[in-house]
Amino acid sequence: MTIPGLGILKGLRQTARNYWAPKVTNQYPESRPTMPDRWRGRLDLIYDPFGEHKCEVCFQCAQVCPVEAIDMSGFDSSGNRIRYGLPEIYDERKDPNAYRRAGLPAMPMRNAARWDEEIDTPWLRGVIDGFGGKPEALVAIFSAVEERYGYLPERALREASERMSIHWAQIFGAAGLGGFRLLPADGHLVTICTCAACRFAGGDALLTALRADLGIEPGETTADGTITLETSDEVAAGALSPALRIDTLVYGPLTVEQGRHVVGERRKAPVRARSGQPVA
Amino acid sequence: MDFSLLLGVLRFLLATTLILVLTIPTAFVVIQMELKIIAGAQLRYGPNRVGPWGMFQSTIHGFKVLAKEDHIPDQADRATFTLAPWMVYMAAAMSMLVIPFAPGAIAADFNIGVVYFFAVLGLSVVGLLVAGWASYNKYSLLGGLRSAAQMVSYEIPLTLSVVGVVVLAGTLNFRELIEWQRAHGWMLIWQPVALVIFYIASLAEINRTPFDMVEADSELVAGPFTEYSGMRFGFFFFAEYVALFIMSGIMISLFFGGWLAPWPFPDQLDGFIGTVYGVVWFFIKTYIFVAIAVLLRATLVRVRVDQLMGTAWKVLLPLAMVNLLVTAAAVLVFKL
Repeated sequence: MTIPGLGILKGLRQTARNYWAPKVTNQYPESRPTMPDRWRGRLDLIYDPFGEHKCEVCFQCAQVCPVEAIDMSGFDSSGNRIRYGLPEIYDERKDPNAYRRAGLPAMPMRNAARWDEEIDTPWLRGVIDGFGGKPEALVAIFSAVEERYGYLPERALREASERMSIHWAQIFGAAGLGGFRLLPADGHLVTICTCAACRFAGGDALLTALRADLGIEPGETTADGTITLETSDEVAAGALSPALRIDTLVYGPLTVEQGRHVVGERRKAPVRARSGQPVA
Repeated sequence: MDFSLLLGVLRFLLATTLILVLTIPTAFVVIQMELKIIAGAQLRYGPNRVGPWGMFQSTIHGFKVLAKEDHIPDQADRATFTLAPWMVYMAAAMSMLVIPFAPGAIAADFNIGVVYFFAVLGLSVVGLLVAGWASYNKYSLLGGLRSAAQMVSYEIPLTLSVVGVVVLAGTLNFRELIEWQRAHGWMLIWQPVALVIFYIASLAEINRTPFDMVEADSELVAGPFTEYSGMRFGFFFFAEYVALFIMSGIMISLFFGGWLAPWPFPDQLDGFIGTVYGVVWFFIKTYIFVAIAVLLRATLVRVRVDQLMGTAWKVLLPLAMVNLLVTAAAVLVFKL
């Protein structure tokens, strides 16, 4: 026979005993947990003052790693691709991080040869000094550079880093965040968003229509050099699905007709300045 | 000139102010007990940084709430949204008026104290329902509706169980109820069934675990309080803990002899000493029951809605009816 309420009383007894029992809380700042000897905390790669990894792919870490958790690949001083680790697991890896670890650009770079093109250094210095060399003027300086070159050449960023005494990593990060183009594009760069939200809202139809309209596949440039088509899943316009970006301007939400109209109008407009020459 | 009327008004103003002021430290103490006891039951230390042994943690929480942004949703009904916390808090604070702390320390010594208490405490359901409706949020509204269903249902067995006590003692005045217990022994002996019903129903009435269907944080975000922030939320929070204190206080007054000492010697002193002695015993007993309620919260899981309503209508209500019938018959037969 069960007595109603007996279970509740048993539970109360247990919790009441717990109240007097020794506590398990670790009083953190005063008493610290003892970590295993091999505990190294959070791992991070060290950067040099120019924002480059100090790691030179020497494999010393991979060789001493007790649980063989480290694998990597890279280029040795002679430019040969070398790697360390279990090939059957990692060699076929295609994710962007694997590319970056291997020292390869994460995405195939178009026009990469012009990334480090010669720039008009005295003009750039004038622009920087015109803003007093202040870090808060970075966006304005970038705008001026992009106005002139159509994108931000690496040498311009290096020059800004040196002239303004800002770490390369910070300059590069700012350039990447501000909606600037880091690579030269022939004509207008049309980026169709392929994030899940945009595809769901009709981005695939938009892409198909534009491919048919322009007669090119993503990654190619039209014969007259006015439009370069590209896809990306980080146009970052979630509320505007389906979205497309022309150069740095995001359009959306678009029907297929609207998208074709916008791109067609842009194709008729004058092309952005070619590298090295100021806007006419 | 009639000074007695003026004195009465002054006394009333003083008493209500004192009661209102008393609610705040009461809430702090109850919240601190909640933090510490639940932590202990879970093998934690609980708050132990603010003040000696962490005893000011809940106070700091209270002031933190004051400093927070007070946000009203765009679609909310502003007038009722701002009124609801006040209604809930005043229901708790006003019902504190009749609590018999000690001989001579009752803010309002009514001859219908019991009726007043349950009538006023029942008002808090209006506040919760209004809060749920005014928030323009489905979780709030569901919480408000649950509070209406739950509190109205449980008020019936709660009040009926007290009717047994009232029939036996023949008075609705809390002071006289305690005097009766002084003469006849604690009501606990005379009305054990009523005590069980009262305890279960009172937990449901003040939305304590295992009957916290109204807040039900894992289902309804925070029930009617979902859209509330800043001190408005603080008022709901305070009201909840003040209500726990009040319910415990009323229960010991009805069943455990109120301010009377647990053993007969010296069961009641006169004058100021007697008041202090009564207050001490009142608070000791009340906080014991607060602690038990907190321990229950650390022990039990939340019941389902159908179990909640089923218990009220199928078990507690018939039981309270039978208890009342038997009590009334006994009073008639034995001329108690």
